[in-house]
Amino acid sequence: MAAVLGLIIGVIIGIFVKPDIPIMLQPYLPIMVVAALDALLGAARSYFERSFSDKVFVISFISNVLTATLLVLLGNQLGVGSQLQTAVIVVLGIRIFSNVSAIRRFIFKG
Amino acid sequence: MAKNKTTRDLVSKLHVQHAQDERNDSTDTGSFPVVRRKPNLRANGKLTRLMTSILIVVLCALLGFGYAIQLNNKSSTYETMSEEELTRLISETSTQVQNLQQRKAELTGQLNSLKAAANKQQEAERIAKENEETSGILSGRLPATGKGVVITISEGSKDRIDASTMFQLLEELRNAGVEVMELNDVRIITSSYVFDTKTGLDCDGTKIHAPYTLKAIGDPQNLQNAVNIAGGVGSRLKVKFGAQVNVTPSDSVDISQTRDVGQYKYAKTVE
Repeated sequence: MAAVLGLIIGVIIGIFVKPDIPIMLQPYLPIMVVAALDALLGAARSYFERSFSDKVFVISFISNVLTATLLVLLGNQLGVGSQLQTAVIVVLGIRIFSNVSAIRRFIFKG
Repeated sequence: MAKNKTTRDLVSKLHVQHAQDERNDSTDTGSFPVVRRKPNLRANGKLTRLMTSILIVVLCALLGFGYAIQLNNKSSTYETMSEEELTRLISETSTQVQNLQQRKAELTGQLNSLKAAANKQQEAERIAKENEETSGILSGRLPATGKGVVITISEGSKDRIDASTMFQLLEELRNAGVEVMELNDVRIITSSYVFDTKTGLDCDGTKIHAPYTLKAIGDPQNLQNAVNIAGGVGSRLKVKFGAQVNVTPSDSVDISQTRDVGQYKYAKTVE
């Protein structure tokens, strides 16, 4: 409930405010969004599994975003930024898919 | 007995089904470890719960915010591109520019040639129209009007006016620069002829009789002079044939008689 509320508030603010993102942050923002999405879906899955923990969600959210950003930053410094970005996206994508499939099984089990 | 056996069978079937269901319902994906909730060590205070839900709202709001910003951020940012990407982009763009310029040059050439052709055609049409008008008047296809003279010649009191005198009159007028002529409702053109018959004259297949009316478009003064000149055709008509010759200059001589264009049987234009 809180998560859905937060999402709606965030999207509305983002649509109406339209701030200028600093150029330093621009290549990392999409990765951050995908990582956060993965954390959110993981939380949804644990909610269905009745093992949801607020603390675990908050920590996984922050650590996901930080890890993804740092990984891409490292890649940019090593000159393999775009490749590493692709790798992060692929891994997060796989996780998102597995989380979604678990959630689907919970929903359609009845 | 039989009943008992079926019951036991049913129970074992249910057990088997249950075990199968348990396996089917397993939600482990196998790819990643599932983080289980740790047993609660301390009692969940109301404040902690509120704080965590606020934190969740904030985090999700951040996620939505980032998502919305990224959606709006449609302008491609060249600042974030690497050097190779920028080089590739610039070479692609310059190739495209070259192609477009080439295409533009082709199309401009086409346009110019089309324009020239259109101009030429227009010019040709104008000339053709002019020619048509001129030759239409010359060949007698079109009616004409303009300054000129009307010459009336009564029947000669001494003799009938013969064809050669009439022809001489026509030629004198032609020398004087006549443009269009009509003799008793016969349009005189370049191929017109006059010859004598028993009762009068025959002009282009039409029998004409005195009095003759000759309408001519041209410079009235010149035409008048051509007829009235001393020793000319006018005096000849008067003296030899005893005819009355009246030359009336007019500002608007209307010649409405036209001639169809004959088909040329033998003459062909040189290509």
